[in-house]
Amino acid sequence: EYEEKTGRAHKPLSPKQNVRKNLDFEPLSTTALILEDRPANLPAKPAEEAQKHRQQYEEMVVQAKKRELKEAQKRKKQLEERCKLEESIGNAVLTWNNEILPNWETMCCSRKVRELWWQGIPPSVRGKVWSLAIGNELNITHELYDICLARAKEKWRSLSTGGAEVEGEDAGFSAADREASLELIKLDISRTFPNLCIFQQGGPYHDTLHSILGAYTCYRPDVGYVQGMSFIAAVLILNLDTADAFIAFSNLLNKPCQMAFFRVDHGLMLTYFAAFEVFFEENLPKLFAHFKKNNLTPDIYLIDWIFTLYSKSLPLDLACRVWDVFCRDGEEFLFRTALGILKLFEDILTKMDFIHIAQFLTKLPEDLPSEEFFTSIAAIQMQSRNKKWAQVRGMLIFANR
Amino acid sequence: MAQREALGTSPEEIHPTYPYKVVLLGSTSVGKSSLAYRYVKNDFKESLPTVGCSFFTQTLNMEVATVKLEIWDTAGQEKYHSVCHLYYRGAHAALLVYDIANKETLNKAKLWMRDLEKEFLPNEIVIALVGNKVDLAAEREVATEEGEEFARTRGLLFMETSAKSNHQVNDIFLAIARELLQREQEKARAPSLHGRSTVTLGESRVRTGCC
Repeated sequence: EYEEKTGRAHKPLSPKQNVRKNLDFEPLSTTALILEDRPANLPAKPAEEAQKHRQQYEEMVVQAKKRELKEAQKRKKQLEERCKLEESIGNAVLTWNNEILPNWETMCCSRKVRELWWQGIPPSVRGKVWSLAIGNELNITHELYDICLARAKEKWRSLSTGGAEVEGEDAGFSAADREASLELIKLDISRTFPNLCIFQQGGPYHDTLHSILGAYTCYRPDVGYVQGMSFIAAVLILNLDTADAFIAFSNLLNKPCQMAFFRVDHGLMLTYFAAFEVFFEENLPKLFAHFKKNNLTPDIYLIDWIFTLYSKSLPLDLACRVWDVFCRDGEEFLFRTALGILKLFEDILTKMDFIHIAQFLTKLPEDLPSEEFFTSIAAIQMQSRNKKWAQVRGMLIFANR
Repeated sequence: MAQREALGTSPEEIHPTYPYKVVLLGSTSVGKSSLAYRYVKNDFKESLPTVGCSFFTQTLNMEVATVKLEIWDTAGQEKYHSVCHLYYRGAHAALLVYDIANKETLNKAKLWMRDLEKEFLPNEIVIALVGNKVDLAAEREVATEEGEEFARTRGLLFMETSAKSNHQVNDIFLAIARELLQREQEKARAPSLHGRSTVTLGESRVRTGCC
């Protein structure tokens, strides 16, 4: 094929045909090199010069050929790697399905499983593992979900018909507040992962997301709907059936860290930020000093990251891997991830001023390299003077009282 | 324009640079992020709900000075209210944004006004009331005069805008920058009368040649 192309390229071309017009000739990237004679209306090249040009041309072709060969090899290698990756995912699926999941209680904490877990859970078992790891402390059943959903639907109906106020045990929460919540859910659903085009009006998961968020406001009227929740529910919907997604969602939000944030309990949030700063200083002292100097407090970037569990700020596949390990290690992994991000970008962040750091961290680059990213997280030590995250947090809460 | 006189009187002040923190406040989905996006990128797209705060910068080369606006675009949901003071602390200017097609959002803007009055002394912060979404004229619930009247009684800048159709978005930020510069001049002209000004300047990382 290559020979054919270069052979054809020697044919004399009519003037103005340096814009290649003969359409049967489809130039392929680097081999699209054409040696042209001077246009017919100009005197021909001296033989010596023509010879020189031919030689140069041949050299170029050789170079181009080399490059193509190299690229072909690279592609082959990539393909092999992808096959290897797919094979290892395939093997992992088998291990998860046949060995780990049937023996969850005994195996989930073993070293081998923890290591496999860190590699990322294969998408086909991800939902199951998340469900098991998050647990169901609240004992929510599918029936309870149906009841909450039915109530939510009732409220939507009475709102849309402007009907009488629904009296009930949650009457303490003002109607206006509830109405605002329901309105806001509607609005936010279409703003959740808009690029995926599946949660928007008419999309396949629009109603599911609407249902889960609505049911939650009925299940926990004291918490209600808080912006950021739609992203968490959406990630769960992508990995679990509706009722199971609701169970995972409610239990996830019931964890102390998530409760503190979604209730916007400022005092408690501050203890999380303070604990984070202890580990920040320990792991990245130079950057920590730079942030201090610039008055860059952790709330600036942590609020978004913690509220949405990184699902809004990281590419979705990376966010899911963060969720994997978050399910394994609990809240401390959220803060470890934050430190991993800071570490990954330490060099550029050290050169930035307040506003540019704030801008950078609230809008992370879209092409984060996943391996480097996790290597960076792995390098973060969640131990400060022999104290673990929970101990540091405990001390800070105690000191706060 | 009056503000050109006082600045630039001494050589080092010929073209100073002033960074200002500008915070966008208002109910959810009145268009705070869209206004910032339109202003900085001159584009309009559906924004994701803001969780916490997002940030923009814009540099204005005015004749008397360079103004660097640091725009803090805050989350609108009321539940975030208790963390919002984190964001408006130390601000030089605030845009109170409401949606002209949603009366309730103007009431919320008035509540924000109350918060700002608690946090700042009069004249310590430039405040603009912004009625956004004039492209939704057919659904208008708030008359122009109503916003105007509230702004007038409180001494606020006022404009109606549309981030979608790019109506008066540049203008409102420019008006704020002008007002900030004018106040800068007044402070420079009579530093002794503004005992507080040095404190404010120090806190807010403003580089000036005065004091």
